[in-house]
Amino acid sequence: MGSLIRLENVSKHYGKFMALQRVNLEVAEGEVVSVIGPSGSGKSTLIRCINLLEQYDDSGKITVNGTVVRKGADLKNVRANVGMVFQNFNLFPHMTILENVKLAPMRVDEISTEVATKRALTLLDNVGISDQADKYPGQLSGGQQQRVAIARALAMEPKILLFDEPTSALDPEMVGEVLNVIRKLADEGVTMIVVTHEMAFARQVSDRVIFMDAGQIVESGTPTDIFDATREPRTLAFLKNVLEH
Amino acid sequence: MYFQKLILKFVLILMSLATYLAPISAASRDENVLIAGANIGNVPWEFQDTAGELIGFEIDLVNEVAKRLNREIEIINIPFNGLFSAVQSSRIDIAISSITITEQRLTSVSFAQPYYDSDQSLTIRSDSNITSVNDLQDEVVAVDTGSTGDIWASENQQQYGFKEIRRYEGIAPAALDLQIGRVAGYISDIPAMQYYTKDKPELKVVERIRTGGSYSMMFRKDDELALSVNEIITTLKQEGLVNELHNKWFGVLAEESTSTAKVTAMPGVKAGLLLNFMDTFLNKAVFVETLPMLLLGLTTTLKLGLASIVIGLFFGLLLALNRLYAPAIARVIAKVYIDVFRSIPLLVLLIVIFYALPFVGISLSPFTAAATALIIVSSAYTAEIFRSGIEAIPKGQFEASQALGLSFAHMMKDVILPQATRIVIPPLTNNSINVIKDTALASVVAMPDLLKQATQAQAIAANPTPLIAAAGIYLLVLLPMVLAVSHLEKKYSKRNQ
Repeated sequence: MGSLIRLENVSKHYGKFMALQRVNLEVAEGEVVSVIGPSGSGKSTLIRCINLLEQYDDSGKITVNGTVVRKGADLKNVRANVGMVFQNFNLFPHMTILENVKLAPMRVDEISTEVATKRALTLLDNVGISDQADKYPGQLSGGQQQRVAIARALAMEPKILLFDEPTSALDPEMVGEVLNVIRKLADEGVTMIVVTHEMAFARQVSDRVIFMDAGQIVESGTPTDIFDATREPRTLAFLKNVLEH
Repeated sequence: MYFQKLILKFVLILMSLATYLAPISAASRDENVLIAGANIGNVPWEFQDTAGELIGFEIDLVNEVAKRLNREIEIINIPFNGLFSAVQSSRIDIAISSITITEQRLTSVSFAQPYYDSDQSLTIRSDSNITSVNDLQDEVVAVDTGSTGDIWASENQQQYGFKEIRRYEGIAPAALDLQIGRVAGYISDIPAMQYYTKDKPELKVVERIRTGGSYSMMFRKDDELALSVNEIITTLKQEGLVNELHNKWFGVLAEESTSTAKVTAMPGVKAGLLLNFMDTFLNKAVFVETLPMLLLGLTTTLKLGLASIVIGLFFGLLLALNRLYAPAIARVIAKVYIDVFRSIPLLVLLIVIFYALPFVGISLSPFTAAATALIIVSSAYTAEIFRSGIEAIPKGQFEASQALGLSFAHMMKDVILPQATRIVIPPLTNNSINVIKDTALASVVAMPDLLKQATQAQAIAANPTPLIAAAGIYLLVLLPMVLAVSHLEKKYSKRNQ
């Protein structure tokens, strides 16, 4: 079976600073990949290149479901296939929860209001907040908002979900409810790449864990490989630092 | 802050009206110098020769009067409309400008005995077929704001079916518009027009309109100077000097029966009382009489203001989007447009559009010219407001829209602009207030807006009540908007905390 996402020699520089250095990565359909590493290591940049929120250098190549990710007509297909959940939720504050979820299907796929509403309500039900459908984002807790953001990303029926530190902006007591939703999606076989600081979650949910540092993938393997049989000293130092706190 | 601005504006209006209230300033002047105000350029009464010297029938006459009074004289240039407030406030002692003596004016000012009997006249372009005012049905006619011609044209508009009366400040702009063809005829004092058209073959005076007005010098109400000057004019008439001036400036002596030759009584020397404050500033009769005129002006002001605001919003948004997201060249063009038109004074732009464009074949009506200028400038300001509003939207909103696959147009329409609109409503309302206030500038292109109507009413009644009323109307319209801005800003800043 081919890879759903393929990164070949992907670099990204801001002036002289190399945010990514010749990264190679393949993600198969149904695979759950966690990306860990210190801040500034290029984790977020990596996934933001996949839906071209960041331009990557011409020397590299990213394909999603066989389509090359570059500016142009095909970008629309790529973005329709790739859902993204942000650290700060980025819900549209002037729309109700329901409107947030059904906007993209109605505008991009031109689905009728009725079908979009029905689908949105199902999705909101799946993340446990269908009773809040008519409220505005500002009236919801952070955890609830992030669950709406997940429902909104799912509404486009993407083949891949990208999570950019989805629990970093949450109060500790809300982290669990969001992770449970992501875990449920993983169990359902949704392909996803999760940038996270939640080591326990990464260990428990992932098929594969990637450790990044200084714009490079330093080590990659099963959760057991990374957490219990760490080979690279940099990974070890990072894990030691994180797990002690 | 808006309140402060408003108060400042109100104070400014009061200050300009205070010219009515300032006889004190007279006391601080050199008693021996007589100050005369004249609408310079009013041929052949008072104008400049090529050397810049003031010359004319009334200049000669007032100089002679000063000599007989044993006083020196200083002549200052004041537009016709401003002469009334200038004598009432004692900023000047005497006003000359072929001012017609009318019953209405006599209630607020005094005149010496008349020295010239005049009529109005119709001036047209030499190549036109018009021969009399009867040919002016459905045509636009020009007059001087608040003049006898204005009063006559207004009273007879229905009878002759004038399509519109357009009001100018002086002969030059009215004659220019007559030449351009924006007006079909110009109704003004016959001696002035006969003199003015003497060396201008493209214009000609075709009809005398008998209004029977007589000119004299104008003074503050019940000023004793009026009596002294009246006596001097009697002497000058008896000496034949006034008629000599007539001969000098018109090339012919006046008939014996005219006021130029004959001594007459001083007009309206009824035991007039000095008008008190209420009668001057809040004269109920004047108010009631001029209110319909003012409301008509308000309609024009609001029409012009609203059209400019709405169209300015549309173009402003277009400009802002170009400035932010268009290809490099369009972006630069938008930026240049925005910077240039925020730097040019609106008044300059308006005059260029109205008086300069006709020379390249673009002749706009006063309304269109004023609206064009206002839209051009307003859209530049609106563009900057929209730009700052859009730039205030967090980057995450753009990224979330893009990640969902929304097109640029949908991202703007559904996500960014609805949020930006909330931010820009206070500054946009503020800009709208400015646009409505700036409509007052349109009075320079003979647009009958609220201010123009008020100055006209003021000149006809020789009373400042219409100006006070106009200030009140501006306040009634704009104060709620100003308060709304404060309210919205407070609400918005609260929500952002």
